[in-house]
Order: sequence, then C-alpha cells, then structure tokens
Amino acid sequence: MTAPALSSEALADAVENLPRSALSATRQAALAQFLERGFPTTRLEDWKYTDLGTIVDISRRWLENGAPVPASAAMDDQIAEVRSSIDADWLVLANGRIMDGALDAAIPGITIKALSELPQGPNFERPLADLNAALLSDGLHISIGPGAEQERPLGFLIIDSAESDPGVSQIRIEIDVAADAQAQLIEYHTSTGNAGHYSNSVIACTLAEGASAEYVRVQNRDLKHSQTQRTSMRLAARSVLRYCGFDLGGQLIRNDLDIDIAGSEADASINGLYVAGDGQHIDNHVRVDHRTGPARSAQEYRGILGGRCRCVWNGKAIVHKGADGTDAKQANHNLLLTEGAEIDAKPELEIYADDVKCSHGTTVGQLDEAALFYLRTRGLDRKEATRALTRAFGASIVSRLPIASMSESLAAMVESRLRGLANGELS
Amino acid sequence: MLEIDDLYASIGDTPILNGLSLSINAGEVHAIMGPNGSGKSTLAQIIAGHEDYVVTSGTVTYKGNDLLGLEPEQRAREGIFLGFQYPVEIPGVNNAYLLKAAVNAGRIHRGQDEVDAFEFLKIAREKMAQLGMDPKFLNRGVNEGFSGGEKKRNEILQMALLEPELAILDETDSGLDIDALKAVAEGINSLRSPERAIVLVTHYQRLLDYVEPDFVHVLSEGKILRSGDKSLAMELEDKGYDWVREAASA
Repeated sequence: MTAPALSSEALADAVENLPRSALSATRQAALAQFLERGFPTTRLEDWKYTDLGTIVDISRRWLENGAPVPASAAMDDQIAEVRSSIDADWLVLANGRIMDGALDAAIPGITIKALSELPQGPNFERPLADLNAALLSDGLHISIGPGAEQERPLGFLIIDSAESDPGVSQIRIEIDVAADAQAQLIEYHTSTGNAGHYSNSVIACTLAEGASAEYVRVQNRDLKHSQTQRTSMRLAARSVLRYCGFDLGGQLIRNDLDIDIAGSEADASINGLYVAGDGQHIDNHVRVDHRTGPARSAQEYRGILGGRCRCVWNGKAIVHKGADGTDAKQANHNLLLTEGAEIDAKPELEIYADDVKCSHGTTVGQLDEAALFYLRTRGLDRKEATRALTRAFGASIVSRLPIASMSESLAAMVESRLRGLANGELS
Repeated sequence: MLEIDDLYASIGDTPILNGLSLSINAGEVHAIMGPNGSGKSTLAQIIAGHEDYVVTSGTVTYKGNDLLGLEPEQRAREGIFLGFQYPVEIPGVNNAYLLKAAVNAGRIHRGQDEVDAFEFLKIAREKMAQLGMDPKFLNRGVNEGFSGGEKKRNEILQMALLEPELAILDETDSGLDIDALKAVAEGINSLRSPERAIVLVTHYQRLLDYVEPDFVHVLSEGKILRSGDKSLAMELEDKGYDWVREAASA
C-alpha cells in the first residue's frame, strides 16, 4: 500500500471539522487506517485497470480549499425532476448530508435512523470504506420490518453539486430487511456543476431468512464527476435478491458489488448495464461468495461503449468448501461502437466444492453491419439504425428491471444517454 | 424508371458485374434469372446501396437521377425496396417499431404527416391477414426466430406497407413451400400497378408460374446474355443455363 497522496494534516482537519457525534471515534480510527493504506493503486490486482488519479486530484484540491460543503439549494430543480419521473418515497442525501425530512419520513413498517444513533460505528474494513467512515458526516440506517407495506419503492436520492469549487462527499446507507419481509429499493445518483466532484458511497444491505428485495441502482452523474461505490449484500437462507444496476453517467466510476450468499436456497439475480462515451471510465467489479448450498446466483452485465472510453468488468464467483448445490452463472456482453472504445472483461471462478454448476461467458462485438444495412434499406438513417441496434442490445437488461413502475422512466434515461452517444461520439 | 448502363462492379478484387445494361420502366415486371454466382444478388445489393460492392464503371440512374451517390436510406425513401434473399434477424428490435419507422421515414421524406400508432397497427394487421401472417409477429424481434417462409412473408409485408415504386425481390421464392409461395405471389401480384416496377431475381422458374413477368433476362458472369418474354423462362427450365451460355458464345 502506498501513502495517501493527500496532506494528512488537511485530511485530519477535515475530519476534525465534521459535526461531533457518536461517529467521532470511528472517524479517527478510520482516518488512521486510511492514512496507512491510502487510495488503492493500479499495483493491486483488483485495481489494475482503474487509476484513481482523477479522484485523488479532486480530493486534494477540495482539502486545499478547506473541505467545504456547498449549500444544496441549487439542486432543488434536479431533486424535483427525479421525484416527478420516478415514483418513490425519496430520502435525499445532498452533498453527503442527510436532508431535512429524511429521518422523519413515516412509512409503515420501516424505521429510519441516523447511523450516529446506533451503538456501533460503521465498518471500514474494505478499500475506500475507511475514507468513507473517516469523512462521514452521517448516514442512514433503514430497517424494513416484516409488516412493511410499501405503496411505492423506498428511494435514496444521492445528489451532489460542485458549481465552482471541487467537491467530495461520503454516503453510507445500511439496510436491514427482516425475515420474510419484502422490500423495493432504489438508489439514484446524480450531480450538477462544472467543477470536479468525487462521491464515495458505501451501501450495506442484509436480507434475513426468507426476505426479498427488488433493488435498482441508477448512476446518472454529470460526465465531469466521479464516483466509487462499494455495495455489500448479504443473503440469508431462502432470501431472494433481484438487483439491477445502471451506469449512464460519470467520468471515472468504480463499483464494487459484493454478494454474500450466506444461507441455503438463497437466490440472487444481478444485472447491470453500463453506457460509456468519450472520456468515461466505468469499472464494475462483482464478487459473489457462495458460502453454502444449494443456492443460486446469476449475473449478466452488458456494456455499450462509444467514443474514446474504457470499461472494466470483473465478475468473480467463489464457491466455498461445502457450498454444494451451487448454481452460479456469470455473463458479460459488450458492444463497441467505435475504435477508441476499450473493454477489459474478466470472469473468474474459484470452486472449492464438489457438486456445483457454474458457467461464465464474455463477448465483445461491434454493431452487426448486416443488420445496420438491412435497417437502412428500410429508410432508417445510420444514426437511427445504430440507436435501434444499441437500444436492442441494452433492452435485455432494461427488460429485467425488478421494479416495473420505473421501467418507462428508466428506458427514457437509457434512450437519452444513447442519443447523446449517437450525436456526439460516434463519428 | 431504372437505367443501368454498362455497369462494372467488384467486391474486393473480384469483379462480379462485367458490363451489365438494363432498362426498367414503371408498370413492368422483370425477372432476372441465372445460375449461382452469376451476379444476380450483387445487382440487387448494388441497387439497394450495399457498401461492400464497388462500382468501377458504368452508371445507374433512377427516375432520371444518379442513384449511386445516394445512401441506402435515401434510396429507400425515394421508393426503392429490396426484398432480401436472407432477411437479417435483429433480436431486440421490435418488428412493429421497424415497420412503423420505415413507413414514417418515407412519409416524412415525401412531406406527409407521420402515421399514428393506431392507424399503423390497423393497416399492418390488414396486410398481415392478406399474407396469412399471425399478428403476433408484430411484437417479435425483426425476423427473430422466424422460419424461412415467415421471413419471406415479412419481407413482402414490409413491401406492402412501404408501397415502393421499384421493388427488387431477391430469391423471394427460395425455401418456400407451396402455400407460402402462393401467399407471397399473391402479395406481389396485388402490388402490380402502372406506377410500379417489380424485379424478381430468381434461380428457378417456379415463382414465375404465379407472377407472370413481362420480361425475362438471363444473367451470366456479370452481364445479361439474353432477354425475352416469359417464354424464355420456360425454355431455360427445359434446356438449362448452359444452353444460353453456349448460344451466346456461338
């Protein structure tokens, strides 16, 4: 591990200046760990394709400015827009702060607390979780009880602004879904402003026995802004997870999704779509630990890449000793629209049990020229035909959206991003 | 309507058309016959604008204007339709979406209002019924999982909806059972009109029993060896393509 490229004094000051709370002790411990470990570097196998230089640079400039937290009034319009396009009970986290109203939201069967109200401080073991815990103002803890009756999904609207100065924000959300409870959850990340911004999110979700969660994550940040996120999902026996993630925006994006299959007959479907254009770098690392069997996990990620961009997909499935009856599938398919688009795709399987069914496959392809010609002979111009084919490529993920009520708005967001690719970045 | 004059074309370094000339007027049905590899499909693809074929000399004019400078979509909007020998399967692109987008691309080009979804579906269902197609094909991916016969019917459906001025049907009869052949032939015959030209590219005379051509041309080694009326097709059926080749070289 290398020393952090940030001034340790400035970082300590930033931690010191956070509002005092029960989190203070954890912050100091996490800071000490981060000062020792620093940002992950490309010398680490898990990080070799993703250089966090941009993020380190934004963080340094932010610290040099005194680690400011901008006022969030400028984001009202954007917040209203998300509220109107996706029907959910929204809890808003703006510039890393829990917005008024989030903690008092009254949803039957759901308890919302600040992390500072909990007896135990947040865990900061994994890379960048230490930075998160050190600089965390506060986070949310959500308990979804067995009697929860969600009329609409619970949404986390994570929004940041960096109008003139670089910004850094930390998000931490912990969600417990009780035994046999059902949850519908949405994470929506967006941002605004012309200065650089770095958001670092840590999400931890546990599904108790027989619980089920339908979970949609949408990352639709400004193309100048960057994000790292670690999402940990723990599945107890007979629990069911339907997860779908979309990365449409952002400059440098790194997602770590850890799925822990801890109980037998758990069932996880993990789907993802990333759309990247000029200047974007989107890295998805998905790790599934099968600790017991029988259980099932199936993941499929698809990527649409245009302009000069780079994407990474690393899907790792580990079938631990004794996890017999595991059925683990992973697939990654990529559509490269331009010469300058690059994908590093790597499936990994580690199997230590005997009776397992595992499969993986990755593909990298270009637009089907025969299909393109066929559509053009029907009168569709090249742009329209290209968009129809790229839309079709992504449609298999969009169609698996577990929360049906948001499928129309999500399809429109994907369409709008594809339109941007076709207009600016396919030449 | 379509004038092809002394056309030479190649793919890569391989010459395929070697001085082909052909004149097609509105209201006419032409059959272009010839053995495999004679350049029939190449001719169809060149008229539709396939970029893999390079025209090395000669001209093609359509409605009095140079055709070769136009993009494939411009040709389509100007009324040229190619029925593919091997219609492409495009999973995820909805058949109804394509049909409607295609119809509207032509309408916008002609300065007409776009057809709305309701009206479009009504017309599409009518045409499908005439062709013996199940309306469920509208909601499938374009040609996705269609049988050979279904694909060809889908081509004729597209033609019926687009109402082209010049329709080129490349081996539309191949791989069809007799019922499908009759349905496809009826579809073609129903589009015969004084304003429209139809070119049937075919290896066999079979389709011509159902769609009677005004002219028959025999293509071999990239040029037309012989032209005649429908009796030429009968003669070919009896004597084979070698007969034309021998007669031409004699």
